Amino acid sequence: MHLFLMIGLVAFSILAVLTRDLLRSAICLAVASVFLALVFFRMNAVYAGVFEVSVVAGLITVLFITAIALTRGDQEVAENKHHMLVFPFFFLFLIVFDILVMRKLLGRIPAIAGSEAGTFGEVLWNQRTFDLVGQIGVIFAGVLAVLALFRQGENPRKGDTTLPGGQPQGGSSHE
Amino acid sequence: MNNLWILNMGFVALLIGTGIYCLLTMKNAVKLLIGLEIIAKGVTLALVASGYARNNILAAQSLAITVIVVDVAVIATALAIIININRHTKSLDVRKLTKLKG
Amino acid sequence: MIFLFIIIPLLLAGLMPLLGKISKRFLPDLLANATMLFLLVFSVLSAKPLIAHGGVIQQAFWFGAPLNIRLLLDGFSLFMLFTISLVSFAVTLYSINYMEHYGAKANYYALLLVMIAGMNGLVLTSDLFNIYLFLEVAAVASYALVAFGQGHDELEASFKYLMLSAVASAAILLSIAVIFGLTGGLSFGTVASGLKMLNIKYVVGFCSGLFLMGFGLKAAIVPFHSWLPDAHPSAPAPISAMLSGVLIKVSGVYAMMRIFLNVFGLTPALTTVLTVLGIASIFVGALAALGQNDIKRMLAYSSISQIGYVILGFGIGTPLGFIGGLFHLFNHALFKSLLFLNAGAVEQSTGTRSLDKMGGLAKRMPLTAATSAVGSLSIAGVPPLNGFWSKLLIIIALVQAKMVILAVLAVLGSVITLWYYLVLQHNAFFGKLNETWKSVREAPFWMSAATVLLALLCIVTGLVFPMVIHSWLQPAADVLSGGVAVALNFIGF
Repeated sequence: MHLFLMIGLVAFSILAVLTRDLLRSAICLAVASVFLALVFFRMNAVYAGVFEVSVVAGLITVLFITAIALTRGDQEVAENKHHMLVFPFFFLFLIVFDILVMRKLLGRIPAIAGSEAGTFGEVLWNQRTFDLVGQIGVIFAGVLAVLALFRQGENPRKGDTTLPGGQPQGGSSHE
Repeated sequence: MNNLWILNMGFVALLIGTGIYCLLTMKNAVKLLIGLEIIAKGVTLALVASGYARNNILAAQSLAITVIVVDVAVIATALAIIININRHTKSLDVRKLTKLKG
Repeated sequence: MIFLFIIIPLLLAGLMPLLGKISKRFLPDLLANATMLFLLVFSVLSAKPLIAHGGVIQQAFWFGAPLNIRLLLDGFSLFMLFTISLVSFAVTLYSINYMEHYGAKANYYALLLVMIAGMNGLVLTSDLFNIYLFLEVAAVASYALVAFGQGHDELEASFKYLMLSAVASAAILLSIAVIFGLTGGLSFGTVASGLKMLNIKYVVGFCSGLFLMGFGLKAAIVPFHSWLPDAHPSAPAPISAMLSGVLIKVSGVYAMMRIFLNVFGLTPALTTVLTVLGIASIFVGALAALGQNDIKRMLAYSSISQIGYVILGFGIGTPLGFIGGLFHLFNHALFKSLLFLNAGAVEQSTGTRSLDKMGGLAKRMPLTAATSAVGSLSIAGVPPLNGFWSKLLIIIALVQAKMVILAVLAVLGSVITLWYYLVLQHNAFFGKLNETWKSVREAPFWMSAATVLLALLCIVTGLVFPMVIHSWLQPAADVLSGGVAVALNFIGF
């Protein structure tokens, strides 16, 4: 089961890279996120799994789709034609290399086992309080960055989002 | 427990390899960000798998959540930059970004 | 209360957009400058006595209630805090006039304050994961600040910077995840003792490689330097000063040295790698700078070269090498931000960055020319300015460590530096006045104030350098030469 989820995660990631259409690519990425969230659930990381589904598969996908819609209508980017040929070789090489290294390491790496008790909230509040400050900082940075980059006159981005976003749905020439 | 960790790290390496391939060969700016996102997934998986293997899953979860929040901020900033570039060049092709020569 | 170093800029950054609605210019200017002045004075008067007897761990309080935040303040982090506050104060002073024509001043100050909060957090933390986190806080703010002008060049530079920097962050985080998996802990003390107990050389080597790549990219050491000559010149001048002056040192050099020296412990292999990369950076940066016509690009390449000296000094691994590296780090923060601010003043007055088109500006902008001359002579290592002493210390340390060839190469690099700074001074400020610039005027008051402040500091630091070394650099170098034992001391907290 674990292996199946992992293979699904990698497979959808590869699909996201190889698919030509950006929109499908973004959706493949979201599916990969769901697989990753399932892996997290199996590892008892419930909160991380919920976050992965809601934020990465949800919010980031929405961001991607908005950006793709905003920048559509322009010509397609001509990608290298040989990805379908080159990538399998690259990936095969990666797998072989990976297996060789992992076989070498199996059972050879000592480690110190931690032990923890309590609930998620306690750990978050007792051990990683400083992370919360950092999270606030990074959220500030992100919001301010978006505000700074979309400042134009006094109406920031609401105006632009609707204008080009509405049209390309009909003209999605790729289908 | 330890061998499962190494197996998981093997999958992490595959994910990161795929992401690096995407960064190196793709020409579409949004595609590059997707590659970045795949690398970020690999690293998050590495964190949680490490916590799971060492019985530190609660701490690992809070780390993973922080990484996800950071990721959202980076991706939002990057997409804002891309949309702005798109207004100038009317394209997403990174080969057209050659005015500056590093 | 060293927690204030992080929380004050962060709170003010949150308030800035609101303040910007009330008053577009005056309040943001005033508050940003007041904050930076406060942090500067605070780091000298209040934080310095705290570490009179070595490093301390301080618990943070929030309105009287204790929080589970423990901040590590020792000689090294205090030294970095002071450098950050000093440069940011000069930069905010300069921004009062310079950022007028960009608009959205409140937003600009907010991003700058978030970046400063991120750097302060990075310097004060004693936890590997928090290093990554605050690195990202500073980095996200810096992406937006590089692109702040919204022109094509700015956006392109920012995009490239973001891509490479995000890969660097991923490498750093992956390494942290592996260490977390091995030792089950993240604080410096736990990790240091865990790695000591496990004694697994190849995994530590792998993690060191990832850290070297990640922090090397952030610090723009040679194989990873390609983003810097794009990103630093494209940003608005105060941000160039901030990025070249402190960001690459805090998020690259500080974090790398803290981890390599205090957590992993310096190995002979690492010494070799660091010194070789340092020398390579010195030469690649200096030779590339020689061929530049754009004044800010020349300064950016010079940053790569000077960071090479810093890395070289740290890489030697002797106490004198640490002092030399730290001193050069501080001096570079002073004169490189001074030179970038001057370049911004010239660009604002003449509208060009091309050295060919300038000429004879000393007659029209005497203050800018004079301060720029101080900065150039100082960076080129002319006695008795501060740059001379730090380079001398690094070279003496190299000779003491029996690396004579590297010492000769370092001297050679310094000669090239002198050469291109003479070219810069000559083409921009001396010679015949170009007819086009007849009506050019001196930079506005606050811009000149900032550059004069930095130039005076360059001269004073050069004159009283034994005192600077004794009171500021020695405690920092002691922390570095303490090695892993420093981190192990804090394990109980």
